[in-house]
Amino acid sequence: MPDWRELVRQRLSGLALDAEEKDEVQVELAAHLEESYEVFCKEGLPEREALHRTFEQVADWRDLQRRIFIAKRSVHPMQKRMHQLWIPGFLTMTLSTVFLMTLQKLGFNARMVSWRDSDILFYLPWLLSLPFCGAFGAYISSRAGGSRGTVLLASVFPVLALTAAFLLMFPIDLVIEPIFNRPVDFSIVATAILKDGIGWILIPGAALLVGGLLVHFLFSRRLSSHEAAIG
Amino acid sequence: MIGSGIKRGTAELAILSVLEESPLHGYEMARRIEQQTKGALRFTLAALYPMLYRMEQRGWIRGSWETSDNGRKRRCYRLTPSGKRKLLPLRKEWAELFGALRRLTKVSHA
Repeated sequence: MPDWRELVRQRLSGLALDAEEKDEVQVELAAHLEESYEVFCKEGLPEREALHRTFEQVADWRDLQRRIFIAKRSVHPMQKRMHQLWIPGFLTMTLSTVFLMTLQKLGFNARMVSWRDSDILFYLPWLLSLPFCGAFGAYISSRAGGSRGTVLLASVFPVLALTAAFLLMFPIDLVIEPIFNRPVDFSIVATAILKDGIGWILIPGAALLVGGLLVHFLFSRRLSSHEAAIG
Repeated sequence: MIGSGIKRGTAELAILSVLEESPLHGYEMARRIEQQTKGALRFTLAALYPMLYRMEQRGWIRGSWETSDNGRKRRCYRLTPSGKRKLLPLRKEWAELFGALRRLTKVSHA
């Protein structure tokens, strides 16, 4: 007979509840599976068929994990969003900013790369650290039961925030212009956004996404392999 | 066979109703519902527990750990006073709905 507790523990390893609560869920679901299996056996099913029928009760463990988490934390949808997106997103942003500041303090300077008559800031050591930051955000979001979209959004959150800041330059300029009576050349602003957008948004975004995708892929693969081990 | 949408809607009523009779653990609850509805309502593990946890969060049911004669630890659920209060209007709503459907189908057949 399988070790039901261990099987459930493996499948619900990403359940983001506190240790005691998680343990209780695992014991409860394991007892349910064990009882189902015993009843199927008593009804005369062969062991293999009984196992199959028992595990048939859960088509998607990842989905069950998410639904249990939501049910246990079903206070408000905003709270769910907070745990799955905002907290992982802000942690990713903080981590990537700390990396950047540390590298600057250590004397690693950005390189200017010329591209189509313009200079693009290229910060290689920082870019190399970003997949780890993206992976970190994706991991936190995954543990909180985030869907694929939310996990990836959390991993690229720093560049989303930066994009929003860049886009805010236009309305801010519109406000500043009448106050300080200084005309703003919007073509310069647009060029700056496009130019800096490559070095600060597009390339870092891709680096963060690599980390996020890797974590998402590993999480999905781990769950699939657990499921395959049973079938 | 009853459609999945109706099944989802009746799930809470089914759980509250069987718990009104006696406290039960998850597996017993699923079996009891299946038997009493002659297989029309069937709860798998994946459908049952998220619903039980949600109902517990709402304060309609309360779970407590018990150890059976064979030493197995099981979580037994019982109806709370709030769950009992919830059951009455739920029953009324569903009785009205089914009454309305019955009348409607009679008119259609006439």
